[in-house]
This record gives sequence, structure tokens and C-alpha cells, in this order.
Amino acid sequence: MGDATSTGQQSVERSREESPSAVSTEDDTFDVLGEANTAAIGEQALVVDGVSKRFGGGDNEIVAVDDVSFTVEQGAVVGLLGPNGAGKTTLIKSILGMVLPDEGSVEIFGTDASDGRRGAYVDVDAMLEGARNDYWRLTVRENLRYFATISGVDPDSVTDRHDRLLNRLGLADHADTAVRNLSRGMKQKVSLASVLAGGAKLIFLDEPTLGLDVESSRTLRTELTRLAREEGLTIFVSSHNMAVIEDVCDRVIVMSAGQIVADGTVEELLGIANRNAIQVTSADIDDRLLSRLEATFTLLSVETVDGSRRVELEATGENLYTLMDTLRDAGVTIEQLHTVEPDLEDVFVSLTGDTQGLRGERSQ
Amino acid sequence: MTDTADSEPIAQPRPATYYHLARAVLYREFLIFVRYPANAIGGIVVSLFFFGVLFYGGQQLAGQALTESLEGIIVGYFLWTLSVGAYSSVSNDIGSEVQWGTLERHITTPFGFAPVALFKGIAKIVRTFLTSLIVLVAMLLMTGTTLQIEPVTTMSIAGLAITSVLGLGFAAGGITVLYKRIGNWLNLLQFGFIVLISAPVFDAPWTRLLPLAHGSALLQRAMVDGTRLWQFSPFDIALLLGVAVGYLAGGYLVFHYATRRARRLGVLGDY
Repeated sequence: MGDATSTGQQSVERSREESPSAVSTEDDTFDVLGEANTAAIGEQALVVDGVSKRFGGGDNEIVAVDDVSFTVEQGAVVGLLGPNGAGKTTLIKSILGMVLPDEGSVEIFGTDASDGRRGAYVDVDAMLEGARNDYWRLTVRENLRYFATISGVDPDSVTDRHDRLLNRLGLADHADTAVRNLSRGMKQKVSLASVLAGGAKLIFLDEPTLGLDVESSRTLRTELTRLAREEGLTIFVSSHNMAVIEDVCDRVIVMSAGQIVADGTVEELLGIANRNAIQVTSADIDDRLLSRLEATFTLLSVETVDGSRRVELEATGENLYTLMDTLRDAGVTIEQLHTVEPDLEDVFVSLTGDTQGLRGERSQ
Repeated sequence: MTDTADSEPIAQPRPATYYHLARAVLYREFLIFVRYPANAIGGIVVSLFFFGVLFYGGQQLAGQALTESLEGIIVGYFLWTLSVGAYSSVSNDIGSEVQWGTLERHITTPFGFAPVALFKGIAKIVRTFLTSLIVLVAMLLMTGTTLQIEPVTTMSIAGLAITSVLGLGFAAGGITVLYKRIGNWLNLLQFGFIVLISAPVFDAPWTRLLPLAHGSALLQRAMVDGTRLWQFSPFDIALLLGVAVGYLAGGYLVFHYATRRARRLGVLGDY
């Protein structure tokens, strides 16, 4: 055991030393639990190059991830969007080595994952969709200690950091409660806490708000935003929840059918939609007027709200004057009129053609 | 979300070694054992119930013949409860880790799952020894039988004997990682241990290479005849050690390659 102990220690220390994120001081290596991350934004935390993964064979072959390449800078918060079956989870698992890609390479903090898996993942942890991620029969604090250890950190040396983490996530009062006795939202927070317990600098979150109620989802979003902004964590988050992506992410990658179809900041992606829609609400809009409007404008939606009709249509520039003239000629008394800004859901639908995958997620 | 402790200075973290990992894994197993004793108690009760059926039912059917071979039956039953405990706890535990998603999580750690699984195996053996000793004492009281229990000899031989079963547990766990639902069927393998424990090692010496068989024969000599560890021939001890290490290594290799295959197929965390 003596040799194994020594080898293990050297291995973990060497891995941490090799990581560019840990080059300046020993302090920087674990600062996610309490101190600002001093790693310069701009260095690459993650390089994904030509990753492909196919399942099955022959006629039944499914290309889950198709030649995907991108980089993530340290300190960035990147969102991964895509309809069900787009390949998001397979991509994340391929990056993490839980799925072995057929082609391509993954480099984490400068270490090729296929050359030195253990070394590459020393500063990485993940909270995956549908996984319990931690041990429900242990208490919250025991989970943090256990996962800190397997992440390569002596748990006795990070007790105060764990206290801080528990405070920040609102788990301090439940530190000695078995996880199985906590609510779903609290369990999700424990998962996040255990992911951060070992001082990971790059974390992957796959559907972190899945199944959470509105309040728990909002709390988790707030905490993710704080972690990203204040502690400089590099976060890669996959979600159907547009609020999570819009609130937390600096940059969004959109996947469809295993490929990246868009990659940019939220603002850049919103520019893609460029919808320029107008929403008019009036009780005077009848079917005849609707037909006239449809002949001139592109109608986006029509709905009845409290006895009035709410019509959303595309109208810009000169068209806007034409719309007003049409409404005035028809004797319409306008109750409400405002422009509708495009949101990520519009971008998502226009890029992927998926109109079903996001239903029910916006309210969170 | 409070930041009450944020202004306080915090100590610098130290890297964890295999010592810390062993301590973490063993402590976790200990906590679960003492906090949730129902499984252990249930196992003891079921073991004693079946032994009671075997003993009292056998007395009705075989009478004196059973009494004459009772010591051997008790030693064999003791080894069987040890084997079942070690095998099922390892294979079921791996299945549970897959189901919970925690096995996937271990994959992306500096230590990986391999040492965790080995430390867990050690914890399971210790735990199984505790429960099986209770069963053994109860069997001796129930039947009024006495055995030669020299702790070092008994623990060493029984420990090495069930180490080979631990290897089978890892192999079964690996197959469960690949083919999830097969785990329940693999539990039936534990009934095959009865055959291995009672293998005819004198008539068919090659059976000594099977898991449990040689260890069972040595344990009978130790606990029934009073042979001490140092009184066995070096060949016997070397064979016991070789079988234990061989099956453990083989089982672990199966687990390793099954896990790699599961990663290739993308089914590591699916359940």
C-alpha cells in the first residue's frame, strides 16, 4: 500500500501541476470554494476537435455527434441548446470520457483526455441529467467529504470551504441530514455542492433544473450566475430551459442532428431571429379584418384574450404605417400595441425547426 | 443563500492520497452498515432459517448420519454465507452505482473507480465476516457442536477463499454494467457456490483450481481437525493464494473491459 499511496499522491499532484489553471500558486488550484479564480480569461479550458460518435451499425446506425469542434475559454459560461436527440448528452459524455468517441479529440486545460484521462479530468466534475449524482444514504456533509476525496482533495483540509459552500447554497441547516430526506430541489443543490466540493474549475451541468419547481429553479440559476461571475468557474450547461441559458450563459452553442448549427453570444443569436414583430390587441379585430391583415402581413399568431383578439404579425418600416392605416380604416380601437423582441426560443425554433421540445420549459 | 462565513480566512487544501481514499470508502461503508442494519439483520435471520430447515429437516430424514457429518456441514454453511455475502454485495453494489449515476462520476476522477471498487470489496469482506461469525456462533449453539476456531488460521483461509468469489462478483458487476437487467439472474450463481464448496478435491484434484473449492477443503481441516495455518504445506497455501489472486485479477479485468465496452457503446450510465 505504501507504494500505491505514494504513486497516487504523485499522480494527483502531477496532474494538478500540469494543468495550466494551476500554474501560478497552490492557492489558485482550489479557489472555487472561496476565493476568486485568478486564471486569466482567454486561456482555453476545453478544446473539442472533430468529435464524432455513432451508435449501432448498417441501416440502424445513428450519428449522435457528427464532427463537432469548439473551444471554451477559462471563466466562460457556455450553454448547449438543442432539441431532444440532438446529441447534447452524448457530446457532454464524450467530453467527460463516459462515452468513448469514434473520432476526434478532447483537450482539457491543455491535457489530451485520451493520453492522460486522470490528469485531464483532475479539475473537472459533472452533474448529469437523471443521475442521483451522490449518495442519498449519507448526509450532505458526508457527501461533500467523500466527493472531495475522490476528486483528489484531503477532505480535512477543506472543511471550512465546505461550510462556506453549504452556506452559499442554503444547505447549512441540512448539513447533517441524510440526502434521501431532502426535497427534490434541495437534492439538486446537494448535487451541485458535491460537484464543487473538490474544487473543480470546469463543471458540466446537464439539465440542472430538470424537474425543479419554479422557485428552486430560480434559486439554482441565481447560484450558477453567482458562481460564474464571482468565482470565475468555467461552466458548460446543457438545458431545455431558456431562462437558465439566458440568465447564466455568455455564449450559446446550438446543436441539431448531432451538429453545431449556431455558436455565439446570446445577443448574436437573438440577431438571427430578427423577427420585428408587432403585437396588437383589440376587441374589434374580426375574421374579415384578419383576412385583410393576412393578405398584407405575415401573421405569426392569433389568440383570444379576455374577449379581445391578440394578433402578432411581422411589420417594420413602411409596413408599420400600412398596418396603422389598415387598423384605422377598419375602425379598430387599439387596446394594446407593442413590439415583440425575439427571444432564444425563437432562435432555437428558427435554427432547429423544433417547436415541441421547449413546451413547458419557459415558465421555469 | 448567506455569505456569513465568506470573510473568514480559509485553510489551503492538501492533495488526497490512496490513504484518504481508503478511509473515505471504508468510512462510507461503515456508516451505511451501522445506519441501515436491516439488510445485515435480514441476511442473518434468513441464513439461520435455512440452516434450521437443513438441520432439523436433515435430522428427521438422515438421523445419525447427519450428526456425524454435522461439523463439516456447519463449516461449509459458514463459508457459503461468507461467499454469498461477498459476491452479492460486490455485484449488487456495482449495479446500484450504475443505477445511481455515481459510477459514471467516479470515471472522471483522478483515482477512477478501480481503487474505489477494491476498497469497497475489502469493506464488504469485513462486513460479511462480522455477520457470518454471528451465524456461525448461532449454528454452534443451535446444534451443540464445537469447532476449532483459531482466529488467524480461520480468518486467513476463509478470507483468501472468498477473495476468489470477490473476483466473480467483479465479473458479474462488469456484465451488469453492460447488460443491466442480467444482474438479478447472476445472483442465482450464488447457489452454484454450494457445488464449489463441496467439490471433490481429493478425487478430482483439478477442482482445486475452481474458486472456493481448495479453500473449503483447507477450512474444513482447520476448523474440524484443528490444523493451524503454519501446519499446511507451502503448496496448499500457495495454491490458495494463487487461486484467490487469479480470480480476483480475472474478475477485475472482466469488470475493466466491460466498463470500457460500455463506454464504447454509450451505455455506462443507462439503466
